[in-house]
Amino acid sequence: MISKEEVLQLAELARLKLDESEVAGLQKDISNILEYVGQVSKVEAGTTKEVPMNNTVMREDLPAGTALGEREELLRAFPKREGDYNVVRKIIQKDE
Amino acid sequence: MSNLNELSITEASTKLAGGEITAVQLAEACLTEIKKRNKTLNAYLEVFDDVLEQAKKADALRQAQGKSAHPLLGIPLAIKDNMLIEGRTASAASKILENYVATYDATAIKKLKEAGAVFLGRTNMDEFALGGSTENSAFGVTKNPHDDSRVAGGTSGGSAAAVAAHMALGALGSDTGGSVRNPASFCGVVGLKPTYGAVSRSGLIAAVSSFDQIGPITKTIGDAELLFNTIRGKDALDSTSIDTNQYPARIQKKVIGIVRELNATREMFDVEGIGQKYKKAIFSLREKGYEIKTIDLPSLAPALAAYYIINFAEVSSNLSRFDGVRYGLSIKGENLFDDYAKSRGEGFGPETRRRIMLGTYVLSAGYYDAYYSKATAARAQLRKEFEEVFESVDVILTPTMPTPAWLIGEKSDPLSAYLADAFTVPANLTGNPAISIPVGTVDGLPVGIQLTAAHGDEQALFSVGHALE
Repeated sequence: MISKEEVLQLAELARLKLDESEVAGLQKDISNILEYVGQVSKVEAGTTKEVPMNNTVMREDLPAGTALGEREELLRAFPKREGDYNVVRKIIQKDE
Repeated sequence: MSNLNELSITEASTKLAGGEITAVQLAEACLTEIKKRNKTLNAYLEVFDDVLEQAKKADALRQAQGKSAHPLLGIPLAIKDNMLIEGRTASAASKILENYVATYDATAIKKLKEAGAVFLGRTNMDEFALGGSTENSAFGVTKNPHDDSRVAGGTSGGSAAAVAAHMALGALGSDTGGSVRNPASFCGVVGLKPTYGAVSRSGLIAAVSSFDQIGPITKTIGDAELLFNTIRGKDALDSTSIDTNQYPARIQKKVIGIVRELNATREMFDVEGIGQKYKKAIFSLREKGYEIKTIDLPSLAPALAAYYIINFAEVSSNLSRFDGVRYGLSIKGENLFDDYAKSRGEGFGPETRRRIMLGTYVLSAGYYDAYYSKATAARAQLRKEFEEVFESVDVILTPTMPTPAWLIGEKSDPLSAYLADAFTVPANLTGNPAISIPVGTVDGLPVGIQLTAAHGDEQALFSVGHALE
């Protein structure tokens, strides 16, 4: 069984805020699921050459999209907009 | 004549072409049924307010085009809520995208628009296509049209319920681990998952990019074929999409493969009466001149585990784009980290959060080799076994689901829900096309039989499918 601390650590890595009340349930569910999927340990890795299902495909370097109309629609989706700018939190903060 | 909404696409198309009915009448018939049943079933999250206008345009276009009109011109369809239609909401049944408005058309949608199809609305699904019963929707479960105490299946549960309840003539769903075939089986309709890459996924909200494929949900196999042929094809906007001639054409052998390993798990479906349907399908194909061949697929054993590891891993990376910065739900916290964690914590539902955490786990240093790299090895091995099997058979026949539709809330333990995907996930791991075909009922509930074919050989699915239909 994975620990409560591990659950909280995973949530932090995944940028998820959890309710305190969820943690015990997640501990149980994640442990059960990991135990089940852990049966892949019996698979011998590297016995079959992994052939990629598709190759990397490069597109022609051409302009696409309908510049202005689409732009306004994208701007409209901003959670906080000022003019044509998306207002985001200051990333670099003072050391304290 | 029966109600117009009860017609198949092909039947309606013939009547439209013959001038017997109009697209407006068809749309009205569907809207009337939606008004009657959607409140209970919750198949549609939104019914578009311009359906009749779209239908009027289709009727006008028919006047202009005459006999050259596309067979889908004026056909009313339902679209899963994870496909973008320009100017309309596409929420993937998630609170994090509840107010997201698409800025462009998905390629499959664009092709349907060019054909002149009418879009009725967007259908309910498990949030971000993670689940198998539509119980993980942020907007309530979709109920099964045959028994509203039961689920419609998932993740394309709304699309399947809409078609089964005649609230649409056909629908699009998407299939990551059975999400088209599972609800098709539960609702008693046809569901096709095409070959990986056959249909462009540009404009499909990504769940698991190496599995996802858009597919039709319809009343008949002929309808599935028509929709598939309309939306398929290589697309510059999806580098994984393939040409129709990517795989060499195959000659039908009239040989059906049945899996020896299924005998070991026979009790999984025998008790439910699904085993009898399975045997009956085998018997009826034999009657029709098909040879039945027992095949070995030893790598089916770890397939479900491998599927879920890859699912978690890709979900955790695909959904990392939802951070509340550029679009979607955005909740302000005490600092930047808090902004992300709160937006994602409140925006994603429980199953989505669980899978993101599991994906984070299996991809983390120290666990990667034990999980992800083992899973990809199992996947490669299974793909090889499938390729070998298809040298001697046209299709592999299995049940679609181990049970008929379960009661709402019955599978509250997530692992027990995952286990129900055992028959459907192999085709996603290997990229093969597969179809679920309704074969009657067990205890009054519909069940489906699944056929899986070689890469690029959807034709074999349709051809054997017709023999079963």
